[in-house]
Amino acid sequence: MSLRDVLSPFTAWKHVIDTPVTIQDPFNREAADRYRGFHQNDMDKCIGCGSCEEICQNDAIDMVPVEGQNAGPGDSGLRPMIDYGRCCWCALCVDVCMTGSLTMSNEYTWVDSDPDAFRFIPGVDGKSWDLEPKGYQREDTRRLTGTTRAPMGEMEPEARIGNFDEIVDGFTREQAVIEADRCVECGLCVATCPAHMDIPDYISKVRDGDYEGGLQILYETNPFSQACGRICTHKCETTCAAMHEGDAIAIRWLKRDITDNVPRERYFDLIQKPDVPETGQKIAVIGAGPAGLTTAYDLARKGHKVVVFEALDKPGGMMRYGIPEYRLPYDVLDHEISVIESMGVEIRCNMRVGHEISMQQLEKAYDAVVLSIGLHQGRSTRVPGSEKAEAAIDLLRRITAGEEVPVPEQVAVIGGGNVAMDIARSMARLQKVKYDKVGVTITALEELDRFLADAEEIKEAQEEGCVIYPARGPQEITLEGENVTGLRTWKVKAIFDDEGRFAPKYDEADEMVHPAQMVVEAIGQMSDISLLGAELTEKLEWNRGRIMIDADGQTSEAWLWAAGDVTSGPDVIHAVADGHRVARSVGKMLATKREKLQ
Amino acid sequence: MFSFKPDRSQYPEPGPDGKLEIDLETGKYLKLWHGPNHPGITGNMSVELTVCGDEVVDGKTHVGYLHRGFEKLMERRTFIQVFPIVCRVCVPEPDFNEYCYAAAVEELADIDVPEMANWIRTLILEMGRFNSYMMAMGGISGALGLGVVGQWMTYTRDLMLDRFEELTGARIYHMFILPGGVRAHLPEGFEARMEEVLQTAEKYLADAEKLMFHSSVFKTRTKGVGYIDPALFERYGVTGPNARAGGVAKDVRKDSPYLVYDQLEFTVHTETESDIYARTLVRYKDLQETIQLIRQILRKMPKTGEVMSNLPNVLHWKIPRGETYIKGESSRGEYGYYLVTDGTGYPRRINVRGPSYTHAMALLEHLIPGTNISDVAALMVSLHTYPPEIER
Amino acid sequence: MRELLYRLKDRYHLGTPTFQRDDLTFVTVKRDELRAILTELRDVEGFTHLTFLTAVDWIEEGLFQLTYMINNREANQSLGLRVMLTREDEPGATTGDTIHDLWPTAATYQRELNEMFGINFPGSPRVDEEFILEGWTDLPPYRRDFDTLAYSQQTYRERPGRGRSDPKAHMQETLYPDYPKPREAAHAHKEEAK
Repeated sequence: MSLRDVLSPFTAWKHVIDTPVTIQDPFNREAADRYRGFHQNDMDKCIGCGSCEEICQNDAIDMVPVEGQNAGPGDSGLRPMIDYGRCCWCALCVDVCMTGSLTMSNEYTWVDSDPDAFRFIPGVDGKSWDLEPKGYQREDTRRLTGTTRAPMGEMEPEARIGNFDEIVDGFTREQAVIEADRCVECGLCVATCPAHMDIPDYISKVRDGDYEGGLQILYETNPFSQACGRICTHKCETTCAAMHEGDAIAIRWLKRDITDNVPRERYFDLIQKPDVPETGQKIAVIGAGPAGLTTAYDLARKGHKVVVFEALDKPGGMMRYGIPEYRLPYDVLDHEISVIESMGVEIRCNMRVGHEISMQQLEKAYDAVVLSIGLHQGRSTRVPGSEKAEAAIDLLRRITAGEEVPVPEQVAVIGGGNVAMDIARSMARLQKVKYDKVGVTITALEELDRFLADAEEIKEAQEEGCVIYPARGPQEITLEGENVTGLRTWKVKAIFDDEGRFAPKYDEADEMVHPAQMVVEAIGQMSDISLLGAELTEKLEWNRGRIMIDADGQTSEAWLWAAGDVTSGPDVIHAVADGHRVARSVGKMLATKREKLQ
Repeated sequence: MFSFKPDRSQYPEPGPDGKLEIDLETGKYLKLWHGPNHPGITGNMSVELTVCGDEVVDGKTHVGYLHRGFEKLMERRTFIQVFPIVCRVCVPEPDFNEYCYAAAVEELADIDVPEMANWIRTLILEMGRFNSYMMAMGGISGALGLGVVGQWMTYTRDLMLDRFEELTGARIYHMFILPGGVRAHLPEGFEARMEEVLQTAEKYLADAEKLMFHSSVFKTRTKGVGYIDPALFERYGVTGPNARAGGVAKDVRKDSPYLVYDQLEFTVHTETESDIYARTLVRYKDLQETIQLIRQILRKMPKTGEVMSNLPNVLHWKIPRGETYIKGESSRGEYGYYLVTDGTGYPRRINVRGPSYTHAMALLEHLIPGTNISDVAALMVSLHTYPPEIER
Repeated sequence: MRELLYRLKDRYHLGTPTFQRDDLTFVTVKRDELRAILTELRDVEGFTHLTFLTAVDWIEEGLFQLTYMINNREANQSLGLRVMLTREDEPGATTGDTIHDLWPTAATYQRELNEMFGINFPGSPRVDEEFILEGWTDLPPYRRDFDTLAYSQQTYRERPGRGRSDPKAHMQETLYPDYPKPREAAHAHKEEAK
């Protein structure tokens, strides 16, 4: 043992003159910038999707209703309440937050004698750290759930323009799984869907590859799932939690993926009529569109006898005669309707009520009548020369029916909705076949970003060679004798007046003449109610030119209901929702009637 | 100087297994509970000693004071939900749990980790090693009554915790290494602040060296005490510094390089005496090496790059059936995670292989008979064991 | 590693190996050959380090899997030997073969397996002594059929003041309570049919 070993420990004494290293005031020590302290939640950004609750491994988070936060489109109205008796500050809730509303402050000291104080709703129960900018937040994008939509294959513009083949390929299995995987199953979309389809449930079936189970879920709420999988206006995707930091889930394509992946003959095994006794009651449905057929489907499944009267050649209504084949192939529609027929629904085509049969006859022969005739009459701009214009809806019907339609080299379309795009693109195809070039001009009052048409419809129309002139108001359809030569438009300065009424203002100096040998008006449709007959029209109650109905679609006549575009918004999924509503109302009435008889 | 030479002439004959037949009724023997609440014990465990005079004739390790059933809890959490609880298996060096779990999941789920994340992970692990060694140095000094070193080491560890706090957002349970990468880049100016900590640490370590390795008291208490025969290493699964003190240069970082250790230069220090002094010295040298490694990592690591890859939706993440074992060199030896998946969204089984499992159980029980009561604490601490690894 | 397994295959029944990584392989062996294989690997092939021994409960298949992870440091190779045992419900009825004489440290693992899985290893030192649990009378807790959630609910009290709503259900209640719900509608069919 050396002397050094005895002496060297004494060197420690030099530290007696050191300044103490202890933090003098530990209570006011600020934590690091990215410290994970108490939560903050931005009420303007939170949508109450509950992903935080879902991921919390400690069960520390409850989604609870909060005063002042109401459920609405894309917001459940619930907010996370955090129990700090369980929270472990792992911040997975922050990482998974779909909107980035949930963050953590760097505040970590808080003393309270009441343990229940440590269970509160960040952002609602005010805390001193609510506005603290420091603390943990995600460094970059959300990594825990996918943010990018799986690509969808579709035909190139050059390939699709010369024909009416379906454009969209549908997902491959890999794409569908990637897309389905991104869903966080919050269910905010369910409220937005007019038919309240169980979207998260069927998406999970895509993920699991259980397409047959998925199809059964689809048919619980929508007998037009195949059509909706292709041409739905997919309002659900506008409230998807994933859209806040990334792409919304391609809900429509996933629905289509299910319907495409179940062999057609299997539909009849999977979607069977429930085993219910026949009631012996009869319902007549006027119009074989989505609303009428949904009503028929529901009522037939309850054991009623349903007959559908269709004025045109084939059933399907606007889905067949309004929507071009390249968006919804006819064989898909035929199959879809055959499933509905397999419920025992009888469809009588070429039976125009008012001609072949009258309302009075229907009233007598049936227990209830449902009017779902849709909007098959085009509205007119009534500008000079408009009597020479074609109605888009009329043209579309004729194209579907295989009738010869005039195809001039130049066509001008008035309107910025989906029907305008449909007719523009249909005419473009016919032109391509006839002249090997496209000459379609689309004019609308709105600016391009305010068009009513789906963004992808606009994009595809442009890809196919249609030229769009936004913010232009039609003034005259120019004629040379009997022949149309063009469309004269002015620049739109404003569409509505100060009180929000429709009163377009134009810049007359900015005039254009779009040369065209055909002008098509696609500015909206109305229904042809002449079938009702004078007597019934007189008896019914009306509201601003529309048949007055109650919340369930019943008119002022106890035996008559109205459903679909004739009463509500013009798309398939609203019509389906309407059909369900009316079917339930009719079913109730019929049940009451049966009880009385017994 | 003092030496302990037990007089065994009064003892009964040992039994066929070499152990004494202990009859407490004779009054010769005394049961002594060393822990679970004792300054000379690491964490919540206890050693049931049977003593005769001040000689320990038998020792049994008792654990279970902080059993929380982690491995079982993990089985009913989704793969992402396991992430926040793994770190709790080991308080002083939690990052190995995070790394091993993340790497196991990444392997079975086939997820790539960005290069940058691997560097940050390595940095974190070395920072954790620094902390753990600081505790070990302070612990062994404390166990021998040298409290001042314990205070210095705790202080420098606290400075490193400040760095952990600014990097990871937490001091103890960092929850920073997610499957797929890490949560964030280094904060602005991190390197400079780290350098300050390392320099402070070096200053205190220089002082500690004088108080420990150049102190006659420390040497007397530790040299030749707690000898582990290197022949026992494989039989008892001894790894890490405990093996390196006996001349076996076992180090997973060298033997089976993971993360970016193949791009780093470092020495695996060994000693030959295999006693408490040698084990402490190996740790001291390895701690110095760690300080250099942290500098080296900060110098060599890329300055930009992604730190996290995109995961599949973690809310319904399923991993195909499979099993794997991921290991790393913790401050105490081989640390590993055995993960078995069955195709569902939950792990079928996770087994944590902590070095203390063997060191504090079979090995300690083997070493204890024949020691002096006052040396038990030093012996235990010199094995550097953390009980939560035993009972998980 | 392939070469080694090829050599062993001559004399032992080996399952199809899983080459998980360059340095990690799993293979299933027969229970009665385990001891011979372990001894040979330890003494001849340099697999001197028993990394761990643990069990996996494949309750659906009626099996316990024992995993013996051994390591050859020189060659940087780890080998996981799997032994499948018939899973008996009665704790202690399933038995494995002790290897504490090959690696004394195995006794600890075996003691834990006996306590946590109810897999006994007759002859292993102190195998029946309590290890982690004290006075435990329930199912061995690491078995798959032991329900930790149910246990915690029975043992501990929930704090009052909790309660949660499902976003989808909450929105239905507040926004469209009257809309026909398909599953209810399916139910109503039956009601009406009565």
